[in-house]
Amino acid sequence: MKEKMTMVLGIGVTTLVVFTFAFYILANPGVDLFDIISIPIILIIVLSSTYLIYDKWKNIKAGLPTKDERLTNAAQKAGYYGFIAAIWSAVGSNMGSIILNDESLSGNYVVAAVVLISGIVFMASYFYFSRKGD
Amino acid sequence: MKTRIKEFRARYDMTQEDLARKVGARRETIVFLEKGKYNPSLKLAYDVAKALNSTIEEVFIFED
Repeated sequence: MKEKMTMVLGIGVTTLVVFTFAFYILANPGVDLFDIISIPIILIIVLSSTYLIYDKWKNIKAGLPTKDERLTNAAQKAGYYGFIAAIWSAVGSNMGSIILNDESLSGNYVVAAVVLISGIVFMASYFYFSRKGD
Repeated sequence: MKTRIKEFRARYDMTQEDLARKVGARRETIVFLEKGKYNPSLKLAYDVAKALNSTIEEVFIFED
C-alpha cells in the first residue's frame, strides 16, 4: 500500500513538473543561455524519474519489493554526492558567473542552479551505484 | 566474496525471482550476490541461507 502510494505521488509530481515546464516554454518564446543549460537537465531528471516509476511498477506487478538494502545504500551514497554537489554549485554558479559575465547571479538563479545540479548529480550517482554493486 | 547461491538454486529448482521474493529483495540484488559483486548485510545473508535450506558458511565463501 505504501509503495503504491509512493508511486502515485511520484507520477503526480512528475506530471506537475512536465506541465510547469511546458507552461514555462510556452510563456517564454525567447531562449537564453540559462534555459539552454537548464532545459536538458530538467528533461534528464524527468526521464529518470519516469524510468524509476516504471521500474517500481514492474516490481510491484511481479510481487517483488521496490526497494531493498542494496538500493537503500545506493540512495544514501547518491544523497551524499547530491549534497556535496548542492554546496559546490551554490558557490560555483555564482563564482562562474562573476568570472564569465563579470556580474554575480541573482538569488533565484543560484537556487535554480543548486536544485538542478544537485538533482542531476543525485540521479546520476543513484543509477551508477544501483548498477555497480559494492 | 564468492557464493554458491546459483548451485543451491539449481538444487531446489528455484529462479532468481523466487529467491528474491522469499528474502524480500529485488531480483537484481540476487544477480549481484551471485556474481559476488555485493556484500550483503548479515540479515540478508542469513535470509538467503535460510531460503536455500542451508547455512551462511555453506552459501557464502569469504576470502581474505
